[in-house]
This record gives sequence, structure tokens and C-alpha cells, in this order.
Amino acid sequence: MSQSTPKTDLPPIAGKGMLAAARESFILLIGDSFAVAGMVILTIFAAIAIFAPWLAPYDPFQAMLTESGRLLRLAPPSSANPFGTTAFGNDVLSQFLYGFRVAFIVGLVAAFAVGIISTVFGVVAGYFGGLIDDVLMRITDVALSIPTLPFSIVAVALLGPSIENIVLVITLLFWRNGARIIRSAVLTERERVYVKWARAAGASHIHIIMRHILPNIFRVVFLWITMSVAFAVLTEASLSFLGLGDPTVISWGQMLNTAFSSGSLRTAWWWVLPPSLGLIFLVSSLYLIGRGYEEQANPRLRRR
Amino acid sequence: MTALQDLNARLAQKPAARLEVKNLCVAYGTFRGPFNAIDNVSFTVEPGTTLGLVGESGCGKSTVVKAIMNLLPEATTVTGDVLLNGKNILGLSDKALQQVRWTQISLITQSAMNSLDPVLCIGDQIVESILAHEKIPYGLAWARAAEMFAVVGLPAARLREFPHQFSGGMRQRAVIAMALSLNAGMLLADEPTTALDPIMQDQIMTRIRGIHEHLRRSMILVTHDIAVVSETCETTAVMYAGKLVESGATADVLQRPRHPYTMGLQNAFPKLPVRGTSRQPLISIPGTVPNLLMPPRGCRFASRCPFAAALCHAEQPELIQSSDGHAVACHFAERAPEFRLAARQAETWRAKEAAI
Amino acid sequence: MTRASTPAVVTAENLQTHFQARAGLVSALAGRTPPAIRALDGVDLTIGEREIVGLVGESGCGKSTLGMSLVRMYEPTGGDVLYHSEPVTHLKGRALKQYRREAQIIFQDPYSSLNPRLTIGQIIEEPLKIHGIGPALERRALIARALDHVRIPASTHLDSYPSDLSGGQRQRVAIARALVLEPRFIVADEPVSMLDVSIQASVLELLDELSRELGLAVLYISHDIATVGYICNHVAVMYLGQIVEEGPAEDILAEPLHPYTQRLMAAIPNMTPGAVRSRIELKGDVPSPQNIPPGCRFSSRCPFATDLCTSVAPELATLADGRRVRCHLYDGAIAEAYPGLTPPRAEIAA
Ligand SMILES: Nc1ncnc2c1ncn2[C@@H]1O[C@H](COP(=O)(O)OP(=O)(O)O)[C@@H](O)[C@H]1O
Ligand SMILES: Nc1ncnc2c1ncn2[C@@H]1O[C@H](COP(=O)(O)OP(=O)(O)O)[C@@H](O)[C@H]1O
Ligand code: SF4
Ligand code: SF4
Ligand SMILES: [Mg+2]
Ligand SMILES: [Mg+2]
Repeated sequence: MSQSTPKTDLPPIAGKGMLAAARESFILLIGDSFAVAGMVILTIFAAIAIFAPWLAPYDPFQAMLTESGRLLRLAPPSSANPFGTTAFGNDVLSQFLYGFRVAFIVGLVAAFAVGIISTVFGVVAGYFGGLIDDVLMRITDVALSIPTLPFSIVAVALLGPSIENIVLVITLLFWRNGARIIRSAVLTERERVYVKWARAAGASHIHIIMRHILPNIFRVVFLWITMSVAFAVLTEASLSFLGLGDPTVISWGQMLNTAFSSGSLRTAWWWVLPPSLGLIFLVSSLYLIGRGYEEQANPRLRRR
Repeated sequence: MTALQDLNARLAQKPAARLEVKNLCVAYGTFRGPFNAIDNVSFTVEPGTTLGLVGESGCGKSTVVKAIMNLLPEATTVTGDVLLNGKNILGLSDKALQQVRWTQISLITQSAMNSLDPVLCIGDQIVESILAHEKIPYGLAWARAAEMFAVVGLPAARLREFPHQFSGGMRQRAVIAMALSLNAGMLLADEPTTALDPIMQDQIMTRIRGIHEHLRRSMILVTHDIAVVSETCETTAVMYAGKLVESGATADVLQRPRHPYTMGLQNAFPKLPVRGTSRQPLISIPGTVPNLLMPPRGCRFASRCPFAAALCHAEQPELIQSSDGHAVACHFAERAPEFRLAARQAETWRAKEAAI
Repeated sequence: MTRASTPAVVTAENLQTHFQARAGLVSALAGRTPPAIRALDGVDLTIGEREIVGLVGESGCGKSTLGMSLVRMYEPTGGDVLYHSEPVTHLKGRALKQYRREAQIIFQDPYSSLNPRLTIGQIIEEPLKIHGIGPALERRALIARALDHVRIPASTHLDSYPSDLSGGQRQRVAIARALVLEPRFIVADEPVSMLDVSIQASVLELLDELSRELGLAVLYISHDIATVGYICNHVAVMYLGQIVEEGPAEDILAEPLHPYTQRLMAAIPNMTPGAVRSRIELKGDVPSPQNIPPGCRFSSRCPFATDLCTSVAPELATLADGRRVRCHLYDGAIAEAYPGLTPPRAEIAA
């Protein structure tokens, strides 16, 4: 039909790339003061996690000694040990700082894995529907019927307490809810008129998923990943508190576990408070970001 | 006399209401500033008459209805008066409003049919709304509900069914039955048939007209369908961009419009051919409604009006009522006969489109 | 088919599209299947070059299903779709994709038919990319031309988002997106029923112009028989999955013959002063396509129904003036069985 390339003075067709979309989300988030508070906390925490080895005054497992050469047990905060010491004479501040690392590694790796698995499951089930959906959703149902804590205790006990196994267990536990949530988002997206149109125009499934479905459910995926980080951190803490943590690293849950098992949970507030507050602030900051994002990105809550 | 006849007689004694809206202004609070959805709108609904409120979407019809029902969101500035039988009902307390809503004014909206409770049978939902205002036994309320079902042409046996067993049109009729159950003196119908197909629309409008004739209630019918208005309403008010631009007896407004916007609506409306006459072509109104965050200084229709002159862009026309009760807000209202002829030419509007 | 004005582009021959309602788990295990939904049940229709055929009927009567089957969004379960006399009924893969270039569809809702995250340029470029057409420069030229067709200035709107456009402009963009592949056939499924009356005319006019200038075959679907008269040469009226009346637009609008068409027209409110509408009350609601009444499908609601109607299904009979009507009143059967009964003439015209 068009024999020769006709001339045109139209500028190149351009839209927003992934980068621009991410920037847009960021700008949205900045508009919400709660989300900004969450992001500030998160950024500070991330910086601490990265620089923990330089910030920590001692090695987390180094035993503090008194001048007389005895183990410095349960010392309240002092200038040498600003957060005091543990029942085994370790510096609480150093342990607390190293705890940031574990929280971040567990949170990020698990959330990443959870995000990928639930997105793939949710998108495939929701988009293709029919038999595929039935099969995938039955698998999800089975997964959903597994009780969270008993499963993780048994699994970690069997596999052995290591960070890798804990991340694995968390991933196994949290993909299932995500898959359901993302599937229902895909079900709505799939019915959009432009998706119907794209099929009528001959677009491949990959094209439709990449171009129309994923960008429009990005919001849900992002929210789910944010929440998963929080779940992962809390689950790791619970497992460690129950004594199923990786003994070679220091996590906040483990700090609480040692405080508990040494019977100092009620007395050594300097030992208990930092990891508890760390957990609370980390999880709250994630919730704040999630909430703010939801509010800003939901056009019904926001008037142009 | 049976208890039901007693109740019916008591409800039937309620007089049709007189509604007077005076200088109503509504500004929605948005984070870009106040959005003047309604600017100085006044009209009167005489007892037992029906007012048709027409205009394209976004011109503020529903806002007027919500203002009358006191249903606007918190951050909205409302000024003016809404006099129901002479009593101002704007800004009443929630408790006082309870006495007004449903018993004196009832509302049917476009989405009402989707707002029925899916887990309660339709009859119970109607009974519930009756019992909220009348201290009568359940059985009596049910009998009244059955009677209302008959009015809208639904068999009483179906009162026991659930919303999902009803088609869209039947659900809408059930909602109308509910709105009628306390025989309020004033009925507000906000696009009661939009989104339904013409046969369904016709069935429902026939019911509404029947109610109007038999029960003699006052009514405001909001719609964008001027043919429905021409068949149903004694008076018509045309809104454009938050202002009333023309009002008067329906025959005057729709057959001899004096405002160029009403002329445009007339021409744009699809009509069935009349045998033996050649049919007018459909003509659309060029351009779009102005942004009310920054309303234009002059006539709000000037950007789309083919007759706009320099004066129109500079000064807002007042709504001026002539002796026959026909009110128009146009600087050149006296040239209406000439405009009507010109407006029937597609050329007139096309020239404006080219100029935009 | 007596109509041979222009070469046929798309033809439906005894087209059937039945949907299988999904069985619940229990009945599936018990091996029971629910009755099929006979959304489209034997439709014959031809749409020629440069022709706009109007398709009207109540909601749920199968109009969209016909449109979707013709552009092969649905695979018909019986009969044939011919494109330039070649069957495309069961095309698959590459051949189907090729057909999708030739047959396009425009949907009703201008608000959700454009992806809010893409610019107008990207939206219209998408079909070209899907079909791997041209280097970027050629694509741009085609986009410019498509936007020009629908009278949207490319220079100002190429980078805008759908949210910046009015409903009418969005519908124009949707039309441009359908046009950019240079199709020969377009289904417009209620393209104006969600637009304001004040701008409906401009979209209808556009369809009319495009059909004439580009020689497009257009199926214009609407539930409002009043809009059909403005742009259609030919009208088909559907009821419960079948065509009940078909013929030139002027004839049908001037004198509807089938009782259902008469009812459809009587439902349109009239604003001509002094005009009195005939009031034809219909009994009950549309029957479900899962449970079609025996005999004439309209017999459960038809005011003229006789015993014959409830037992024998009428054929779509061609009348002397070339119009086709599916009703015993016109095929002589009733006259034979009940001498003395005369067909109801149209009571519509003022
Ligand atoms: N809650 C709200 N906040 C801000 N603006 C609103 C709100 N509701 C409606 N509007 C705006 O007010 C105008 C009038 O709306 P509405 O009364 O619903 O019009 P109509 O019923 O005539 O279509 C529209 O431009 C609409 O966008
Ligand atoms: N994908 C589908 N699956 C099952 N039933 C359908 C499907 N699409 C349409 N139907 C049914 O087929 C009938 C015709 O629908 P449709 O073609 O959308 O009607 P119209 O466009 O005339 O309103 C309706 O009863 C509808 O419920
Ligand atoms: S005042 Fe001027 S712009 Fe406004 S409607 Fe009258 S002629 Fe048109
Ligand atoms: S065949 Fe009988 S029932 Fe069917 S439309 Fe004609 S008169 Fe009515
Ligand atoms: Mg409204
Ligand atoms: Mg449809």
C-alpha cells in the first residue's frame, strides 16, 4: 500500500522508558510526607548496613574484658561500650550495627525471590486463565494451607540453620499470597479494552504482557515486594528468636534470643532495646512507603 | 379500614413539594484550588411539576442534585439557598436531614441499581428503608413494598428475590419502588436510565411518567437526553459549564431555543426521520468545555459559540427572564430567530471549528 | 442476496458462535455440561466496499459477538466468515495475523480503550510494531497520515497522554489506531454511545467520510436505531442471536415491518412537536440465549404471536422490495393458517 517511504516531519515516537517510570514513582512518593519519612529511615538504615564494619567499634563476637581480665558481663552503657555489653561480654552496639546487614540481606534477597516467583505465577495464571489458572491456583491453594510458623520451624530445623535456608523458607512461604494478589490484578488488567484490542490487532502474548499488563500491575508488584521485605525481616527475627538462626552471623532476632535465653530480657534494657527498635523502625518505614505509594498512585485517592 | 389503607391514605396526604434553588454556588476543594462546579444557579420546581435538567457531562447536573440532598464531600464550599416548601435545607444537621431525606425528598441515581445489598432480598431492603422512618409493623411495611412493586410493574412475588436474580432494568425499577415507598413530595432522578438500552429506558421512563401522573409528585429529572425531557417535563433548564444558560417551558426551550448552546444540543441530537420531510444532518458542537479551575472571563460558551463577538469574550451575560417566563443568558438573545436559522446550517459550526 | 451494489468485502454465512458456559466443579465431575450459550445462531450478512451496515438490537442480543466473530476475535462454532470470498473462519497462526491487518475493531469505551501509560504516538505505532512494519521513519509517516485522517493535529498531540484528551478525541485516536494498518474492514462497536451527544455527530461523520474516501467496509453496531439512519446504507436488526429484519436504511426507518423493529423504533423518544408515539408494550424480558423459546424467538414477547408462531420458526424471507423479514406475518404462513389476519403496518410515522 505504501510503495515508497513517504516523507514526514514528525518527531520520533517516544514514550516513557522504565527509568522514567521509576522516576515518576519516586516523584509520586516524594509528595507524601509519611513516605518521605519512611524513605529517610530506610536510607539511613541502608547506609548503616553498608558501613557497619567501619562504624562498629569492635568485632561483634569479641569478648570485652574488665581491667582485672574478667569477662565484662551485662555492663550498662558506658563510654567504652555506648550500648553496654551482653551476658557473654560482647559489645551490644557492634552486634546491633552488624544486625542491619543481616536484616537487609534477608529482606532484599527474599523479597526479590518472592517478587519474581509471585509475579510469574500470578501473571501466567491470571493472563492465560482456564486450565493453566486452575492448576496454578490449586498449587497455590495447597501452599496457602501450610501453616507459616510450624512449617518454617520444621523446615529450618531439617535443612539446618543458615541464612540461605532461612531465605529459602521465607521465599517458599510468601510467594503464595503474592501470586494470588498479583493474579487478581492481572485479571482486571486483562479485561481492559486496550488488551482486547491488542489481541484483535494480532499482538503476541509476550507483547501484551510486557507492554500492557506488567507496566500496569507494577504498582501492585512494588507494594507486594515492599511488604515482603517487612515479612521476611520479621520471619527471620522470629526464627532466630526461636533459636533457629544462623549461628555464624549476628541478627537482631538472635540478639533477642540470647538475651532471652540468658534470662536478661527484663533487666538488660540496653541489650533488648536496640534490636527491638531496629525491627520496629525498619518494618514501619516499609509500611509507610507502601502506604504512601498506594495513596499517591491510586488515582481515586488523588485528584488531578 | 385496614392498616394498609390507613398508611396509604396517610402517605397520600403528603403534599407535592415546592423546591426553590436560589443563587446556588458550589466549589469543590481540590488541591489545585477551588473548582467552581456550580456558579449562581437558581430555579424553581412548582408543586406537582417536573423540571428537566439537561447539559453535557461535567456541566454540574449531579452536583446540583447532590447539593440539594446535602451529599457533597466535606471540603466543598456551598452558598445560596435550597428552599423546600419555604424552609432552607442547606446545611441542616445530620439529624434534621434524616427527617428530610426519603420522607420529603428521595433520590434515584444512575448507579443506584448497583448499590443494592447483594445479600438481602429486595423486599427486605425496601422494608428497611420504610421502617427507618415509619413506626409500623414489618408485615405492613412489606405490604406497602408489594404495592410499590406493582406501581413500577414488577410482580410482588419477586420481592423475595435477590438483586443478582434481577436484570439491570428490573433492579433500576426496584430502586424506583424504594424511592417511592414513603411518597416523598419531591423526587430527584439523576440519569435514571443512562447506560440502559432504549427499550429498557422506555419502559422505565413510562413508569416514571405514570407515577408523575398518578401520584402528582414534584420531580427533577436529570438527563442528557433532550427527547426524554421533551416527553416528560413541563419545564426545562439547560446547564453549561456550571451555569444555567436557558430555562422555561419545555416547548419554548426545546422548540424555540434562544441560547446558541441549546440550539447546538438540538442539532446534535439524533432523531428518527419523519416521513415526507428531509432529515436535518447531525451537527456536533466543536471544541470542549472550558476548565472551571480557570473559568473564562466572558460567556462560558464563547469558545464554542459560532455567534461569539468581542463582547462575549469580555463580559458574562446575565440570565434574563422575559415576560413569558423564558430565561436566557446570552448577550444576543434578541437575535435568537436569526441564530436558529443559522445554527441549522452545518457550515456555521464548521466555520467555528476551523477557527478554534 | 439481492444486493449487489458494491463488491462484498466480508460475508457471514449461517454464522454461529456458541459459548460453552463453564460448568461448576460438581457438575463437571458428574459429566454434565450446561446448555451452550447460543449468542449467535445462524447469521447471514454481507458488507460491501464503501458500505456502512448498521447493526441494531437490545443489549445482549449478540451484536458484539457478531462483530468479534467477523474480525476473528472469536472463532465461530458453525458457518463461515468469508473475506473477499475466501473463508477465514478457522484461520490460525500467521494467516490469522495477516487477516487481523485487514479487519480491525473499535470499541465502545473511549476511556479504557487506550493504555494510559502510552503516548498517542506510541499507541498508534503499536499495531505497526506488532506487524513488524517499516523502519521508524516509515512508521512515523504512517502515523502522521492516520492522525491526519481523524483530524488530530500530530504536531501537538503526538506526545500527549490519553488523559489529556477529551472523550471524542480519544475515540478518534482509537479510530486512527485501527486505520494505521490500512484495513479494508472495520467493526465499530457502539463507538459513540459513551460520548456526549454534542460530539457524537463528529465521530459518526468521520466514519462516514473514511468509508467513502478509503473504500472501507464498516459494520456500525449500535443499540440506538436513531443514530443508524445518519450514516448507514443498510441496516440489520438482531434479536436473540438472529437477524430478524434487514434492508436499506431508509426503508426500514420509514416503515419497519418486523414487530420487534417496530418496538425498537417506538422506544425512541420523540421531540417533534405533536408527534404521538405508538405504545407497543412488550411482555417480559429478553429470553436467555441458553434457553431459546421454540418457534419464533420473539413469540414470547410479540403482541401479534399466534399458535403458529410458538411452534414453527419463521425463515428470513425476502420480500418484493428486496427487504428481508423473519416473521410469519410476511411469509404468508399466517395468512394461510388464519385468513383474515392482516400484517400490522407501521404505526410509527407521524
Ligand atoms: N468530588 C469532586 N471533587 C472535585 N471535582 C468534582 C467532584 N465531583 C465532580 N467534580 C467536577 O465537577 C464538575 C461537575 O460534575 P457533575 O456535577 O458530576 O457533572 P454532570 O452530572 O453534569 O456530569 C465536573 O467537572 C467534575 O469533574
Ligand atoms: N465470552 C462469552 N462467554 C459467554 N457468554 C458470552 C460471551 N460473550 C457474550 N456472551 C453472551 O452472549 C450474549 C450476547 O452478548 P453480546 O454479543 O455481548 O450482546 P450485545 O453486544 O448485543 O449486547 C449475551 O447473553 C452474553 O451474555
Ligand atoms: S453570549 Fe455570545 S458567546 Fe455566549 S452564547 Fe451568546 S452569542 Fe454565544
Ligand atoms: S412470527 Fe409471530 S411471534 Fe414472531 S414476530 Fe412474527 S408475529 Fe411475532
Ligand atoms: Mg452526572
Ligand atoms: Mg455489545
